[in-house]
Amino acid sequence: MGKTKKAKLYNPWAPWLFLAVPLLIYLVWVIGPMLYTFFLSLTKWDGLSAPSFIGIKNYRKLFDDPVFFISLKNNFVWIAFFITIPVILGLALAMALNRDIRGSKIFKALFYSPMVLSLVVCGLIWSWLYNPTQGLFNAVLEAVGLEHMAQGWLSDPTYALGSVITVAIWRQVGYVMILYLAGLQSVDPFLVEASLIDGANKWQSFVHVILPQLRPMTVVVVVISIIDSLRAFDLVSVMTRGGPYNRTSVLANFMYIESFNNYKMGYGAAISVILFMISLIFIIFYLRVVMQEEN
Amino acid sequence: MKRLGLVLMVVVFMITAFPVFSGGQAETVVESKQTMVIYNSMNGDPEPRRVDEALVAEFETENSDIEVVHSIIAHEDFKTAIRAYLTASTPPDVLTWFAGNRARFFIDKGLIMDISDVWESEGWNDSYAKGWQAMSSVDGKQYFLPTSWYWWAVYYRPSVFEKYGLTEPQTWDELMNVCETLVDNGIAPFTIGTKYRWTAAAWFDYLNMRINGPEFHINLMLGKESYADDRVKDVFEKWGMMIEKGYFIENPAAYSWAEAIPFMADESAGMYLMGDFIRDSVPATISDDIDFFRFPIIDASIPVGEDAPTDGYFIAANSQNPEEAKKLLAKFGSKAAQEFNASELGRLPTNGDVDTSMFNASQQKGIDMINSSDFVAQFYDRDTTPEMADEGMNAFMEFWDNHSAADIDRICGRLEEVRQEVFAQ
Repeated sequence: MGKTKKAKLYNPWAPWLFLAVPLLIYLVWVIGPMLYTFFLSLTKWDGLSAPSFIGIKNYRKLFDDPVFFISLKNNFVWIAFFITIPVILGLALAMALNRDIRGSKIFKALFYSPMVLSLVVCGLIWSWLYNPTQGLFNAVLEAVGLEHMAQGWLSDPTYALGSVITVAIWRQVGYVMILYLAGLQSVDPFLVEASLIDGANKWQSFVHVILPQLRPMTVVVVVISIIDSLRAFDLVSVMTRGGPYNRTSVLANFMYIESFNNYKMGYGAAISVILFMISLIFIIFYLRVVMQEEN
Repeated sequence: MKRLGLVLMVVVFMITAFPVFSGGQAETVVESKQTMVIYNSMNGDPEPRRVDEALVAEFETENSDIEVVHSIIAHEDFKTAIRAYLTASTPPDVLTWFAGNRARFFIDKGLIMDISDVWESEGWNDSYAKGWQAMSSVDGKQYFLPTSWYWWAVYYRPSVFEKYGLTEPQTWDELMNVCETLVDNGIAPFTIGTKYRWTAAAWFDYLNMRINGPEFHINLMLGKESYADDRVKDVFEKWGMMIEKGYFIENPAAYSWAEAIPFMADESAGMYLMGDFIRDSVPATISDDIDFFRFPIIDASIPVGEDAPTDGYFIAANSQNPEEAKKLLAKFGSKAAQEFNASELGRLPTNGDVDTSMFNASQQKGIDMINSSDFVAQFYDRDTTPEMADEGMNAFMEFWDNHSAADIDRICGRLEEVRQEVFAQ
């Protein structure tokens, strides 16, 4: 009796009805522009006259453009740093703060606070710290007698990229820490205790008991870090605009300069498409991991 | 939890309702039967911003029925956004822009309104010199209103020159002597902030005009000469020699153009190749201690070229308020507005009715310098295409760090490839 009533109340259209509005928005603001970008990447367009179709010429030119390869390389350097340093530091902080010691909440809040600032603000603050004559870093180096180490941090091609990535790492550590703190909630304390009773020392228990249980979270953290690295734009744009002479350029910044500074919309769209393809690989991987876990 | 939900609801409501309320506001404006004009300008620096706002306020008092919706957009952002403005269905009505090639580009695309009637009714055909008219006209119709111009020169502090027994150099050898003396006294001869790159382009402009002449320079800008030409390499060689000898401050790429000025204030640098707008940003402590001289002559046998960029206004072709826009333009082009601009900012007016006795000694010196030159260029990124300028300015940055003969060959080769591609179309 109850069952049939339920069946009558169930309207197969209801979910679609509720989904219609968000789907429509998604279609207009995400899917539509995405497809349009694919189309634009096959055209030559100055942003004023109508786009003219030129086939895959943009892509051919792209693979002949040294700036493209510098940007691509920088994105991968970014990834390499991003999946190691913030992950290790974030995990270490999470382990250190995951207990009821006095002030642990304050420390958590402090380490997370850079994440609250927009990237533009972070970039500006650090630009001042890096300033060769007025900035904190060179002032400290000079004060302790290390003048020879003082640099034009953002203007020297050797250090510029590292200086920008440092800011991104500074901001990311707190975020990774929060993710791991959440992950640690699902670590079974009895298993840890059992390992300690069985004679494992703290390090062994961490490596062999806690870390394996954090594995799903580690996958999430690494994939998020990779996707964030590929999206890198704000810091570069604010701190160096890709300079000196493209040495800190990343794909997103390269796309921005070509499209909106040089008005080569078609060429910029082609860069976006390549960036999208690279991101897609990692996004699919991420989704598969998440789905597997949910199942 | 419940409270958090409530707070969230309020926030969402406020965010979504905001456009509705502000829409309502716009309607009340219409009800009071005011007309309006949208004006976007790129006068972001504090002093020009003040003058810009003062002129708009004056216009609103004179025309109480017109509301000016005025937005000031940072220079670099404005240059990026202008294509979106001009292709919008309701573009800003009046915009600031660069005279010459950069305006011509939009005129050719039909994005700038023909304002011959304003030129006619305001009597500008008589009060503006022929050169300004030519700069604003295509096929006998006027599209642009040039309102002010300024010169480029080498700025220095007379007190510092005096301290080391230096005088304004007229020739290249004299300039090199000045540089040597300053270096010997632990002062970097030139300050420069190349974070946004265009300051370096001024050096290219001047060295090229002085070594190879303005005709070669402008043809290079127009894509008619090769960047792989030995004459271009001469420019880079001389420039590289100056960098190598420590004639510029260290780490110039770390500073914007204005952030490099303090090195003159604390006497760690001596000179700055800059446009006259440098005066807007010089600290008050040394503002009375700033003078300039013509970029020294390298080869006395070739004509003298100078950079003197001209700024002005135009009306978007799709303007929804053309009548009000023309009134605002008439204001900007008027004798009174230009006199105000000239006295407040030191920019030079284009309207010939402006009383020349009002110019101070510095302005008179600038005018004389330009009048006695043989050729006036706009500026690197105004004289060539945006794409070529972007590649060129990147090349200048790369050159700054790498200036061996092999580097120069490689950089010129790359620029030549870009030129052929950009100007092939």
